[in-house]
Amino acid sequence: MGVASLASTISDRKPRLLARALILLCLTLLGAGCTSKQVIVEGNFPAPLLDPLPITVGVIYPSAFAEHEFFDEAKGRAESDWLVKTGEAQVEFWDTLFTGMFENVVHIRDWETVQSHLATVDGVLIPTIAELQYAIPMHTNVKVYEIWMRYEFRLVDISAIHRQEDGALTFNPDERLAAWPITAYGKTPTAFLQTDEEAVNLAAVVALRDAGAHFVTTFGATPDVAAWLDDIALQQQGSGTEPVSNESGDTTTDTPAAVDVPASDGENAVSSAVGVATKRHHLGWSAVSPSGAVGMNDDNTAKSVVTLASMSAPVAGGAP
Amino acid sequence: MNPQISKDLSLRWLGAALLVFLLGGCVNATVDEMTYNEPVAGIGESSVVILGRRHAPDYDTEFDFIECIGDHIHSGDPSIEVINEIAFINQFYPWFEPRTAPMQPQTIDRLLQLPPVAERFEEIKLEYMIWIDGNTVDTESTGSMSCGIGPGVAGCFGFGTWGTESEYEATIWDFTDKVEVGRVSAVTSGQSYMPAVVVPIPIIAPVQGTACDSLGDQLLEYLSAHH
Repeated sequence: MGVASLASTISDRKPRLLARALILLCLTLLGAGCTSKQVIVEGNFPAPLLDPLPITVGVIYPSAFAEHEFFDEAKGRAESDWLVKTGEAQVEFWDTLFTGMFENVVHIRDWETVQSHLATVDGVLIPTIAELQYAIPMHTNVKVYEIWMRYEFRLVDISAIHRQEDGALTFNPDERLAAWPITAYGKTPTAFLQTDEEAVNLAAVVALRDAGAHFVTTFGATPDVAAWLDDIALQQQGSGTEPVSNESGDTTTDTPAAVDVPASDGENAVSSAVGVATKRHHLGWSAVSPSGAVGMNDDNTAKSVVTLASMSAPVAGGAP
Repeated sequence: MNPQISKDLSLRWLGAALLVFLLGGCVNATVDEMTYNEPVAGIGESSVVILGRRHAPDYDTEFDFIECIGDHIHSGDPSIEVINEIAFINQFYPWFEPRTAPMQPQTIDRLLQLPPVAERFEEIKLEYMIWIDGNTVDTESTGSMSCGIGPGVAGCFGFGTWGTESEYEATIWDFTDKVEVGRVSAVTSGQSYMPAVVVPIPIIAPVQGTACDSLGDQLLEYLSAHH
């Protein structure tokens, strides 16, 4: 093949390239109706106004939680695909809440952290997002953007966390100390010059704040959590630590937390929180310093498997 | 200044004022008030917070409406310190979220059992907590308008009209005695128009603004020693 034939080959390709570009352009124009909307939830989250419980809590954020996103495919040409990424905001929000609610928070990301905090962590919290639903005015004909979430919180003893052969952390659900759901709802009305994305973001932030409020006000009212707090108080008294005196000068003994008051409105919510605050007076010790984060894949039906985010280990079983 | 220029300027201002007046739709307002224990000498160095109710499933009291009332009170009597709503809700998180906000003044006593909450209330010297419940909605709309665009020309033709209604109620809590000391309500409605001959000209009825002014005036009268 000479120089001429090579030049001919190149010039033959130009129309093909042009045709491809035209086809691509046509496809782009045709597809323009099916837009995709993406929201990476962002917000500023205030620290809770609480006296932190003087306990040390470990926190595991499963990878499905820390990287949580919600995808909804468009049902027709008039609708858009929606991708709502809440993971980063979830971790930021719950970190802020837990840090304000507990005196010490340990982020458990690997087996070494588990080993080094065996004696000091009172319990390990593992949040998961079981369900998320959203609605925009196009879906409902109501001028409100809504986000609804259901969390599943599990509290396990740190000794119940095990390491698998591949390095993943697991725990047996039968060994859990408590498990309870938290629902959250956020809505924001339509507003002039507000995009769908901004409104969904705002609704998600409101939902996160609502989740935190729900968590704070029901934590001490959850029977298994109340029993766990009682156990910690008993252990503290058994270890010879001085019980704390209350404002009237009486020495406090172990009294139940507000276990029988579901927080369905502001009044009950405050009762519950006051119950937690009362329980706080039974506890008087702390230890350990907080650190990093964790990746975890969760199987709601059987056992949970934690992948070691720090070692980039693959997911070992479990379904997100 | 040249008298001719001065006259021209006056005419322009008059024209602008007339245009603004004409462009504003008509608004009807009804205000009801029932208050007790008015602070005759004002509230001194204490502060007031105005909060919107947002627990209803189908509406939220608008943040900008709350801000409007706060601005109205503060501009009417600069000695009254009105705490910004969002700052207050964030400072007291999670105790004033829709799920947890107190519905009765008596509930505040239970909230004050939490030491950090009590301390913060002490810091801000809160005297009155005012809850605003309500919203503004557009009601029936009629008319039609069509717009077109061509090479070098664009325009609209038609006529549209819609109604707007506001209904708000302010409940005043005396934070010292933990009792309700008054209720003020404002119901306003108005009709807006948009005729279009080439250019659409919106004639908007300031329904929410009138509700803000009406409620703000009543609250100012209650809180201020100078009104």
